[in-house]
Amino acid sequence: MHRRGHGIGAIKKKDLAQARYKDKGSEIAEDQVSQMAKQMEKFKEHLEDFAVNHKEDIKKDPEFRVQFQNMCASIGVDPLASSKGFWAEMLGVGDFYYEIGVQIIEVCIATSHRNGGKDDLLRAIKKLKVLGNGFTVIPVGRTYLVQSVPGELSMDHTMLLQQAQDAGFVTKSDLLSGLKWEEDRAGRALDFMVKEGLAWLDDQATPERQYWFPSFFPYTAVTS
Amino acid sequence: MADIEWPWQYQFPPFFTIQPNIETRKKQIEAWCSLVLSYTRQQKTYSIDVRESQNSPLFNNKAINRKLSMDCILTVLEELRKTGHLEWTDNKTKKQCLVMWRTPEEWGKLIYSWICSRSMNNTVCTLFELTEGEESEGTEFHGLENWLLLRALKSLESQELAELMSFDGSDGVKFF
Repeated sequence: MHRRGHGIGAIKKKDLAQARYKDKGSEIAEDQVSQMAKQMEKFKEHLEDFAVNHKEDIKKDPEFRVQFQNMCASIGVDPLASSKGFWAEMLGVGDFYYEIGVQIIEVCIATSHRNGGKDDLLRAIKKLKVLGNGFTVIPVGRTYLVQSVPGELSMDHTMLLQQAQDAGFVTKSDLLSGLKWEEDRAGRALDFMVKEGLAWLDDQATPERQYWFPSFFPYTAVTS
Repeated sequence: MADIEWPWQYQFPPFFTIQPNIETRKKQIEAWCSLVLSYTRQQKTYSIDVRESQNSPLFNNKAINRKLSMDCILTVLEELRKTGHLEWTDNKTKKQCLVMWRTPEEWGKLIYSWICSRSMNNTVCTLFELTEGEESEGTEFHGLENWLLLRALKSLESQELAELMSFDGSDGVKFF
């Protein structure tokens, strides 16, 4: 019985077939690349359309903005960070963080008690540094405080804040035992916090007065 | 009792202690005022008995064991009076007050725009129809107390958008 696939002729045939496969392979690969390029182009177009259609949402809704940024990041675009080119023109977002910067001033003035949208805030505040030292970000333990008071927090104040950040409040005794401070020193630092509007007194606390920091108070909407 | 939406401050213990820092106190009082208004709006109540209110959830958060003192309550209510949202029914003793989570002018506007949206201008309707009638069901002023309704209508009257009238012993109003 004659088995197929033997001899010179068969080998040549096989080579030829392989070469064809190879050709076909790279053809397909090329196709895929160009298709992908087309798709990316399409995707970019859609993303642009999307951005334009949802411009207001992107600007106003922080959650929406995060999702949009994630989507852009996955294809290597950072529309909000660049102030040049297409995105800036399309969305007018080049100035985004400057706008937030200005709004932060307003927000900090209006509500020194609450803040949200941390990443946006951090970026924006960094931009604000060019305006001087009025606004700074102070890392306190695991979190950040935005200082909008044109004053300075001393080492003592920062330590006090660190002491307060877990519970959201601090007492004089905490400072005496936790930081080994003298009564005087603790009193002065606490008074400063109240005077600067950073701390709120709770006189219904037992066994002693508590100094609460709204900036460390977790926001929870409650319905009952 | 309807579900109440509480602001974050309601869970914040020092909210119930009057703050020594003037700026902080200003924010605190403002927050209390808006809480009183939103609470009474959600409860659809129009009056506060000061003594009773001490134990109402409004000023007494049992979950965190904090309550607003009588002095502070009076401070908040007095502030609301200044903004036109509250009136003492006993000016001297200050035990009872009327709360208007919308001012009469605001109610007037609301009623008038409802009338316009239904093309009921130049028709006469009774006060009862307005706040208790089937047609007004679902509107915010459905169930509005009479004294406040009258004031709302009077404010419209002063703008010449309505005229109060009496016929056969019942009160009515004509909108223009």
